[in-house]
Amino acid sequence: MIVLDPGHGGTDTGARGESGAIEKDVVLEYARVVRGELERRGFRVAMTRNNDSNPSYDDRASMANAYHNAIFISLHVATMGEPGTARVYYYRFGSSPGGPATAGNGKAKAAISLVEWWGAQLPHLDRSHDLADLLQTQLAQHFPGSPSTAAAVPVRELRSVDTPAVAIEISSVSVSDPSSLTAFGAPLADSIAQALESFRSGPAGGN
Amino acid sequence: MPRNLRFALGILAVAVLLGLASLHDLHQHIERMSESQQSEEEARREVLTSPIATPTDVEQQAKIFWAAGPDRIAPIQVELPLSDDPVQRSKQVLNELISSPSPEQRILPADAVLLGFYVLPDGTAIADFSDPLVTEIPSGIASEERVVDSIVETLASNVPSLRRLKILIHGQEVDTLAGHVDLSGFFDLTPPASQGTAGPTQGSTSPERSMPSS
Repeated sequence: MIVLDPGHGGTDTGARGESGAIEKDVVLEYARVVRGELERRGFRVAMTRNNDSNPSYDDRASMANAYHNAIFISLHVATMGEPGTARVYYYRFGSSPGGPATAGNGKAKAAISLVEWWGAQLPHLDRSHDLADLLQTQLAQHFPGSPSTAAAVPVRELRSVDTPAVAIEISSVSVSDPSSLTAFGAPLADSIAQALESFRSGPAGGN
Repeated sequence: MPRNLRFALGILAVAVLLGLASLHDLHQHIERMSESQQSEEEARREVLTSPIATPTDVEQQAKIFWAAGPDRIAPIQVELPLSDDPVQRSKQVLNELISSPSPEQRILPADAVLLGFYVLPDGTAIADFSDPLVTEIPSGIASEERVVDSIVETLASNVPSLRRLKILIHGQEVDTLAGHVDLSGFFDLTPPASQGTAGPTQGSTSPERSMPSS
């Protein structure tokens, strides 16, 4: 299951460009285009919102966590940056000892393992990193001028997702013509689909 | 008019005059108070933006990480009087970061104020900024990452005794900077890999979170 997360929504418009581009609308359009492409290639897809609602970060994470072996992809448009470029982000906790805390004594640990909500992404950092690299490679081909490597940034939406999770940010609402932003939907969908096929077939895709 | 009535009227007149005089004094007192009254924010600004240099500070080369293009930051060498005390030194370099030499190089909003800076015995630094740090920066992952990176890299490059950083906004812990970058954890302040080079740095934001006891 691929969970697409169009960022923002409702009263939270996200980035706004002088030309009239509004992030919450652009990313919803992207998510619909990506969904169509992924379903065409045989993926099952869910979306954290399919209208102008604004689920909380935790609600978005809950939707992804409700599926077994899901992949979470959050979509954003930047305020600034070179128009027509894209960057992928995966969550990073730095040099923390890491790993979810387990509850109870040794006997209880053997029977049940609890993942703390704030640290749900911790066990998936390596696979999220692998997925981010695959996505960034594809995006660099479809969006010339994009960075060649994904970045480790603590994007809040990814923190409590208990499955591989990345955020993609397209630049930017500063474009003079909003329709040029809309045109990025198709190459974005193709990039994501190709990266997910590689991820699914590669060693990182298994569990 | 009866004598006792005249007496009562006289007392009443004196009381009215005394009341009017007191009212005038009270009015002047209130005016004086309102003139000198400051908001808490103004008072903090006044204290915290006062010169923090001390006579023992030594002019040194500091590395301040300002904008170097639309999506990058780079260290700029600046001659600054720097204290040996980590808290004072941190305040000096962060205030320099806020001051910014040009609009193109600006990362932190001009209205942002470093309200407080503390260092715990384990090397954990706590930087408390005013609201404009979250309300006056462009929303977005990349733009918020640049803000955090500029603070982290500037501290890591100039105050080596610091181990990690917690960012507060107006004394409060906040969930995100401006809707994207998670501020709930601690950011590593290990010296940046780019130290000693003139090249830009990017994507080094690396928060660390203390594990709660279970």
